[in-house]
Amino acid sequence: MKTWTDRYCTAFGIAVALVLLAPALDEVLAGLTRQVDPSRMGAGVALAALAYAGYLVLARTFGPVAVSAADAAWLLLSPLPRRGVLRKTVGILLAVALLTGLALGVGLLSALGAPDPFMVRLLTAGVLGISATTGGMAVAVLAQASQSWDTWLLAMIIAVVVLAVLAAVLGGGPWRPLLSAVAGAPACVGSAVAVVAATATAVLVRLAWAALERVPARSILAASTRTGQVVTATVLLDPGTLTWIAEDEHWRRRRLRSRPLPRRLPAPLAPAWPDWRRAARRPGRSALLLASAALPALAARAGGGLTPVVLTVLAAGALITAAACTAGVRRDRNDPSLARLSGIGARPALAARALLPALAGGGWLALALTGLVATGALSAGPWWLFGLVAAPALAVGALRMARRGPVDHSLPPIPTPFGVMFTGPVLWALTGADLAALGCAPALMALGAQPPDLGSYLLAQALTGTGVAAVFLLRRRSH
Amino acid sequence: MVVDARDVGVELGGGRVFAGVGLRVDRGDIVAVVGENGAGKSTLLRCLAGLQPGVSGQVVVFARPPADEPGFWRDVALVGDEPAWYPGLTVREHLELMPAVHGAARMGVDAALETFGLAGQGDRAPLALSTGQRQRLLLAMALIRPSRLLLLDEPERGLDPAFRERLAASLCEYAEEGGTVVMATHDLQLAESTRARRLTLQTS
Repeated sequence: MKTWTDRYCTAFGIAVALVLLAPALDEVLAGLTRQVDPSRMGAGVALAALAYAGYLVLARTFGPVAVSAADAAWLLLSPLPRRGVLRKTVGILLAVALLTGLALGVGLLSALGAPDPFMVRLLTAGVLGISATTGGMAVAVLAQASQSWDTWLLAMIIAVVVLAVLAAVLGGGPWRPLLSAVAGAPACVGSAVAVVAATATAVLVRLAWAALERVPARSILAASTRTGQVVTATVLLDPGTLTWIAEDEHWRRRRLRSRPLPRRLPAPLAPAWPDWRRAARRPGRSALLLASAALPALAARAGGGLTPVVLTVLAAGALITAAACTAGVRRDRNDPSLARLSGIGARPALAARALLPALAGGGWLALALTGLVATGALSAGPWWLFGLVAAPALAVGALRMARRGPVDHSLPPIPTPFGVMFTGPVLWALTGADLAALGCAPALMALGAQPPDLGSYLLAQALTGTGVAAVFLLRRRSH
Repeated sequence: MVVDARDVGVELGGGRVFAGVGLRVDRGDIVAVVGENGAGKSTLLRCLAGLQPGVSGQVVVFARPPADEPGFWRDVALVGDEPAWYPGLTVREHLELMPAVHGAARMGVDAALETFGLAGQGDRAPLALSTGQRQRLLLAMALIRPSRLLLLDEPERGLDPAFRERLAASLCEYAEEGGTVVMATHDLQLAESTRARRLTLQTS
């Protein structure tokens, strides 16, 4: 039961958060009152659509209707009315939809611009954003109760992704007049669309509220287990656990078919084979990683050039792609019993396992750089070669990341002028990225300087990347 | 002599787990380390595998101190207390991995699946197996690969009585081929079926 003190604390917390966030919010809103270059609108709309698709995927993956472990054990299987038990969950889902919707609306407005009457357009964008996220959440709840709604939700996600791709590809060409027309439409048209969207959302929310009684207990229990694991991993600040939750969840449901090992596979390469097999068994994930190579170009188009955000997306994307291919190393680091059964040394095993992340990370970087050249964010030149020569450094950065242990919470926090820095999580986050940054330093310098002749930078990158990879591998003795 | 441990003792957190333990194991021997919970059976196994810090006394395996390095693990197969597996690999592929990395096998993959009662499970992911089936998989992986010493920590965990008999037969076969087995176990029936020499540890 909530006391008045609890309510006071909640209200006071919200008020303090608003006061703290107000300057940043004011700055963001002030930045919106401008005319956006029509050639950049497509990229901005594509990014907003991708963010919305990600939101829908998360809602579908995590339930969305889930309860705490205690409620799952005691209340869910009791004869109490289901809606009463789930009232708190519904409140949380609505709050999430509201906040995400506001962010989506502001993002959309930032992509299309708000030249005049600003407040009306801001309100319209807010209503549209909240309608989209609340309606999406309602469909996700309905999908949890019925298979046919789940099919609709999947179709909705695919449609949004297709819209993002079309906006990205055609935004600068055939769709440019369309986007300009949408951005320049009279405010009253926007308001009418917002009213229709809000009405449709209200109907979906009503249907979802009615469907809550019919959501099967097994579905809520499964969602609660998933959410509970994620919450535990988050509370313990052990993000490494999150990857295993997703990984185990995926393979538990999959039907597999054994494939024989390649006959002529040399023994030192055999420990790396599970990673290749795993990548081949997840074509959707590989395709998503491949498609994400377009993100830096999109961000450059939306943001107007090679901004720090674009460079961050580029560096993080290449490292994440390489790190996505290191499950074998992560498993052996968590539990070395299989590595001991294999009887292969850490050094040859790591060298064999570096091939796939090098190929994936280097390939992704080459594609992303080609995209940046195509959009004009980078000067013409063989930039894609940096993907090739930075591949060893990306691979060992990803391997170092895979070999890191859990966050060390015993490390002391350090007070800084910007607030307290928690050393453990920061060191954990930097492990791997540090080595990749060191090994890719010439490539990063070239991106910053954009020299007319890339030859010397490419040579320096080849030497640095190979050197860092060699030192990393030669220093490894244990799994 | 495969294992020669003399006056071995271990202290953990300021407390003595065991002290003065001696064990000599020859080629073809099967030894069952028995004792109550906390007597130090698993700890002794970790001493023999070179994984236990703070060990007093002398431990020699194949005429040298045990060490967590590839040369040692090519001779020694350790089945620990928690089954492990690679994500996205089937049961059959896990078994195929062992001959591929060692360049030889004690038995074919199909024979191993049959022997360890996993014949219908070859295409399943280890995550989709029961606890007992996962234990069978780990035992199969340890026994399909060539080795000279098997260290088993409670191999009976999660196994049904019928399979324990089959496991005993597999271990006897391994010993008849010249292999050596040291296992920590609570299953006296398993120790009896394998005609194992017993080493009883007392709780300190």
